[in-house]
Order: sequence, then C-alpha cells, then structure tokens
Amino acid sequence: MSGKEIYKIWAPTNKKWTDWVRPVPFIGIDHPKEIKEFLDFTIPYNDSIKKQNDVAILIDLPGGDSIKRGIQLAKLGFRPIPIFNGTNPNMGTMSTTNNAIIEPFLIWGASELKKIPLEKDAPPVFLLDSNRLCRYKENRFVFDNSWDVYPQDLPSAEYFLKNGITKMIVIGNDIAKDLKKILYRFQTKNLQILFTNGYENPKAIKIKKVKIDDL
Amino acid sequence: MKLVSIPEEKFETYRYDAMFDCYKWDPEFYDDFTLAKQVLVLTEEEYKEVANLTETLELETRKAEEFLNNHLSCAKTLALPKKINQELKKMKNYDPQKHIRLMRYDFHPTIDGTWAVSEVNSDVPGGFAEASLLPKLAIKTLDENLYDSIDFGDFLARTIQKKIKPNGTIMFVHCTSYSDDRQVMQYLGDKMESLGFHSLYGAVEHIDFKEKKAISVLDGHMGDIDFIFRFTPLEWLKDIRPKTWSGYFDTITPSCNHPIAIFAQTKRFPLLWNLLEKNHLTFDTWKKLLPDTIEVKEAKGKEGYLYKPACGRVGEKISIKEACRGKEYQEILNDVKKHPKQYIAQKKFISKPLKDIEGKEFHVCLGSYTIDGKHAGFYARISETPRIDSHAKDIPVLIERNKKNERKRNL
Repeated sequence: MSGKEIYKIWAPTNKKWTDWVRPVPFIGIDHPKEIKEFLDFTIPYNDSIKKQNDVAILIDLPGGDSIKRGIQLAKLGFRPIPIFNGTNPNMGTMSTTNNAIIEPFLIWGASELKKIPLEKDAPPVFLLDSNRLCRYKENRFVFDNSWDVYPQDLPSAEYFLKNGITKMIVIGNDIAKDLKKILYRFQTKNLQILFTNGYENPKAIKIKKVKIDDL
Repeated sequence: MKLVSIPEEKFETYRYDAMFDCYKWDPEFYDDFTLAKQVLVLTEEEYKEVANLTETLELETRKAEEFLNNHLSCAKTLALPKKINQELKKMKNYDPQKHIRLMRYDFHPTIDGTWAVSEVNSDVPGGFAEASLLPKLAIKTLDENLYDSIDFGDFLARTIQKKIKPNGTIMFVHCTSYSDDRQVMQYLGDKMESLGFHSLYGAVEHIDFKEKKAISVLDGHMGDIDFIFRFTPLEWLKDIRPKTWSGYFDTITPSCNHPIAIFAQTKRFPLLWNLLEKNHLTFDTWKKLLPDTIEVKEAKGKEGYLYKPACGRVGEKISIKEACRGKEYQEILNDVKKHPKQYIAQKKFISKPLKDIEGKEFHVCLGSYTIDGKHAGFYARISETPRIDSHAKDIPVLIERNKKNERKRNL
C-alpha cells in the first residue's frame, strides 16, 4: 500500500476529526528507510480510560507506543488522529530524532484500524511522539529534525466545545513545554484538562499560566 | 479575475492529491483547510498586465539594491539589525550573473479598479509547489479545457540548471524543524534530483566556507556544494551559533537568494526612494502601486494609515483593525509605540473582494514571481478578511485561454 492509501485509512472522508491527520510521516512511507530497532506491535492492555463522548484524549508517548495506545483506544470507540509532523534527514545523516520509526507503526496501525468499526463522530484521540523534543546535538553536523506541536495543529478550544468535548485527557510521562502552551489556552476557554501516566485514573490538573509572549 | 469553485464532490480527492502529489503537507490550520475550495482565474489580459508590472518592479528593485550594495551609507534608514549590518560590507563581490535573484510581488485588486502592491517577498519567497503542481491538479480536477497554468518550479529548476555543473550538489538550507519549510525545499529538491542533481537538506550551520566556497558539513555528506538554495530568512541568521553564517554574504558559490535580498525585504525599503531618486534611480512603478509609506512618527495625526512590521512575514502583525483577532490590534499598537523603527506606516488601500458562486466574498493576494528579471508564475491566497495572513487559504492560479488564440502557453 502507498502512503496515500494508508493515510486514507487513518483519515477517511466524512468522519469527524480526521481533517487534522498530518500527512508528513505518511509521505515518508513511500521512501522506506532502514529500521534497525526491534519493533513490538503488541497492543497494551489498559482499562484506566473508558469511552465518554465529551472527552478528547491526547497521547504524548514515544511514537510507536503512542500509536499502539491509540489503537487500543480505538477498540474502545475513540478515533485515533496522528498529528506527527517530523521530517527525515538525507540517507546516511545522523539526526536528533528518529521520526522514521513511526512509519512502520502507521502501516501496522492501518491494518488494525480496518478491523475496528468506528462511529462517524467517534471522539478523538490525538497521537503525538514525545521524542519530538529530543534536540540534543552531539555536534553541529547533526540534522535537527526535532519538532514542536503548535496550537494551529489541533482544533481550537471553541471547536472542541462546539462539538461536545469538554474535557481533554493527556496520557504521557509529563506535560511537555510545547503542549503546555496549547493546553493553557484550552484551559482559559473552559476545557477541563486531566492527566494520567497511562496506568492510573486520569486526574484533573491546572496548567500554570504561560507568558503571553510564549502563546 | 474570478473565482471558480471546485465541485463539492471532487474536493476531498483534490485535497488528498494536493497533500500527496503536490507537497501540501500542512492541510489544516486550526479549524480550517489551508486549501481554498476555489481556483483563481485570470484573463489573458490580466496575466500580461501583472507579468509586465512585475518585471518593471523587479528592475527598479534590482537596480536599487545593487546601488545600495555600493553605497551602504545610504542604507542606514533601513534600520537593519546590527549583526546583519556588520556583514553587508562583505557583499562587494556580489555578481548578479553568478547568482539567481528570485522575488515575489504581492498584488491586490482594489475598489477603484487598479492594482495595489503591498510588498515584495525579496528574501525567501515560498509557495513553490502551490505555484507549480497545484494549478495542474486544479485543471485536472475541473476537467474543462478552458485554462492554462504556469509551471513556476520548472522555470526555477531550469534556471538553477544553467548556473551549475551537471550532477552538481545543491544544499537546501532551511529551518529543519519545520515541515512547512521542508515541503517547499523537498519539492524543489526532488525536481532537481529528477534533473540529475544531488539534493542535500540542511540548516544554515551545515555550510562552512573555505576561500569563499561553500562546503557541506552535514553529517554523512561532507564536501563541496555547487549551489546554495536558502529558505531561512536572513534576519534569523543573526541568532545562529556558531557564527559560520557570515560566509553567506561573500560566497562565490552561486546562491538563491544571495543576502543582497535584505535591502528590499525590509518594509522600510520605500523610505529610501526619495534619496535614491536623487541618485538617478527610478521608482515610478513602485510609487504607482505601493500605497504611501512613511515613518511611524510621520503618521501621527494622519487618517487611514496602518502599521506593518519592517521584518514581517505572511501578513502577521499588520494593524488592520477589522482583521485582528482578540487583543491583537491593541498589542500591535503597543509594540509600534515601543519600537517605532521596527515598523512603517502605510496608507491603507481598500481591497476589492471577489465573490464565489455562492456569493461569499474573498479578498485576494496574487503573488507574482520573477526569476532573474523574468516573470515566472503566480502564487495566490484568499481570505475572508482584508488581511491576508496565516489564516488565508492557498488557491491555484489559472489563466483563461484566450478564445481567439487557443495555442498552448509554453511556460
């Protein structure tokens, strides 16, 4: 299957939230790279989250784990929306971030998604790669393909509320700096933010005020 | 000029194809598509008129920047960042024949039936695939034998090809963390690869300069570079460490754009015209098309002026009250007060909106490219508000075939 065909499985037409699926890693699928890592496609068991129609989820875990958890939540009725946005370096160039590793998980995820009947307006679970912020450079010759998520990459708070979403649960190890800026905006517009490490029940949190210049 | 709608039932396929076949990697911005549901159609006459005006503007601009390069003392009014200013004296060896000069002029239709030009994107104009592949996709989608399009990318690629040795290496310099920048570079890089060149994707600091020649220090790809294509804005270079970037100013490796582009990139460029006219340069076309542009302090008490940041891009921070969101308008005014030299005041023009088939109004910004003095194509955006900013949508530009002359345009 081509990247476009796989994208269409993740972002079918006439389904709510799918307009936000980012094409960047799907385009990379058409230019396969050598993946040296062992890829584990085991879907995790987890019962800390139940489907609620007024809840959107944002998973911020390492790429493959994010996609696997997204598929697990799809089985509960959420629609996974990958918003990965990192690019790849020239072949043979060392980079700060391994964005290419997401691609085989998206291919695997598409085959899983095809088996899951999802409602047209299923609530969304946005998938992020927490490794996007790996920007350590051993030297300046390294290609920096780390990336940030920006407010414009997600629906606005107004859109969420208009579509019946009043709570956002973040699953991750912590709330990353770039995400904080987005969540703070949501919070000011009365979207409730909850956080879980993935195992415990989500707890309501308050995002500390972010400086206006950073918004 | 008119808007022609893409049939509703074809739009989803058009959007998928734009993403995967036309390098449109940023399909959504907040709650909206970044692609318009229409195409912009110019008549043959409009196309020729804008193309001619663009070439004249380019000539005026190029003569001015080459003059300024030899008379840097005249450039003080531009108030360029100090760190950039310090490098300008290195550009004395600038040879326009060696480099490629790419610019994009932003045209707007006005209510009095004329064109207004709001700015020139002199340094790092983008929108390459939208100006090349998207119009072709639109023609295919509309499936009507009524339109032609200009392939900007083809024009640019062929110009680069003439400047460097066959199979040479090109470094596409951009902000590597932004996929929005990479989509522009990847389009051109793939095009150059198809012509037999070797495309490298790197950041400003991935080039070193030895004896004024550019050398790639990108991991795994160290060696000579035959051409630099820079998409990182020049004024961003000043914050990059280590400071290897000063070599961009006097390199003898051909580049697009050479840092000479900075003179016209700042919106303060028009503030120099009166001085430059005393040195036998002309700005007749610029003055006809660009609304009156003055220092912030001169606008005090004058009606109908707006503020623009000198180094602004994509329409951000322009004080069009009805187009500002939330507290933005007041924040801009506060910033203008604090940093008046970082802004200009410009007479506001009244944009004439076009109506789509449903009667909905859209304001148009028609970007018109030149490459080494020749008109090279169009990149347009439309917006529901008069300010064309990040919320505006990309729209392909087509040219209505002249019924009396059905010949296919060769561009």
